[in-house]
Amino acid sequence: SWHDIFFNTSPYAWAYWGIALSLGASIIGAAWGILITGASLLGASVKAPRIRSKNLVSIIFCEAVAIYGVIMAIILQGKMNEAEIVPATHQELLFDGFAIFWTGVSVGLSNLVCGICVGVTGSVCAISDAQTPETFVKILVV
Amino acid sequence: GEGNYGENAFFGYMGVSAALVLANVGAAYGTAKAGNGIAGIGIWKPEAIMKCLIPVVMAGILGIYGMIVSVIIIQKVKKDVAYEAFYGFSHMAAGLCCGMSSLAAGYAIGKVGEQGVRSMAQRDSIFVGMILILIFAEALGLYGLIVSLILAQ
Repeated sequence: SWHDIFFNTSPYAWAYWGIALSLGASIIGAAWGILITGASLLGASVKAPRIRSKNLVSIIFCEAVAIYGVIMAIILQGKMNEAEIVPATHQELLFDGFAIFWTGVSVGLSNLVCGICVGVTGSVCAISDAQTPETFVKILVV
Repeated sequence: GEGNYGENAFFGYMGVSAALVLANVGAAYGTAKAGNGIAGIGIWKPEAIMKCLIPVVMAGILGIYGMIVSVIIIQKVKKDVAYEAFYGFSHMAAGLCCGMSSLAAGYAIGKVGEQGVRSMAQRDSIFVGMILILIFAEALGLYGLIVSLILAQ
């Protein structure tokens, strides 16, 4: 039954799913962003090699998104270590398990879209920088 | 008895997550789309870029709405018997309300912002019209925020 699926699967399972999603989705977002930016950067560098070093900063922004996910996963995993020491009622375990699950979902999916967004912006930044150098800083603001 | 606060926390925290994540999806879409437009016009009219950052700022505000609702709901999800199913579901509704409204508003701001900045670079007087349209789109996100705050009580 639905009730069993949600509330009788172990809360530890929910919590670890959250940790996995926080890490995995953040890294998917960062990777997607890097691929979008990198492809444009490499293409634009053919005609304008000077943009290469400056626009690496866009790629570093995407990488930072992945780091956020890693940090949160490590913090959440630290909380899991605390949980094994203290025995608790089933409801208390469920509460904590869901808290960690949804935290991981929040972090992971937010970083997913953030990475894609930074990737798209970085890609157009590279292309416009290749044509008009003074736009670089202004688009970096975005 | 012990109550079902663990089970109700599933929905409560789902609201927290939905508010934040969906608002961020909207904000990200708005930022990326408007950023595309800005980069497009920046090539041949760089002095217009500063004015064109307005759609990006408005998209960012939607992310802030999501964060506000998330933080408010987090403080109301409690780990004791008093957290009944009623509160769990109302917090879920609050989160979804704010999140989906901001998602829709962000989508609108992105599309309008992209085309708006491209047109504004060619004809300066369009700026006022673009701002008006963006304000109406932002209002949708605000409606979601207001109803979420009421639901989260």
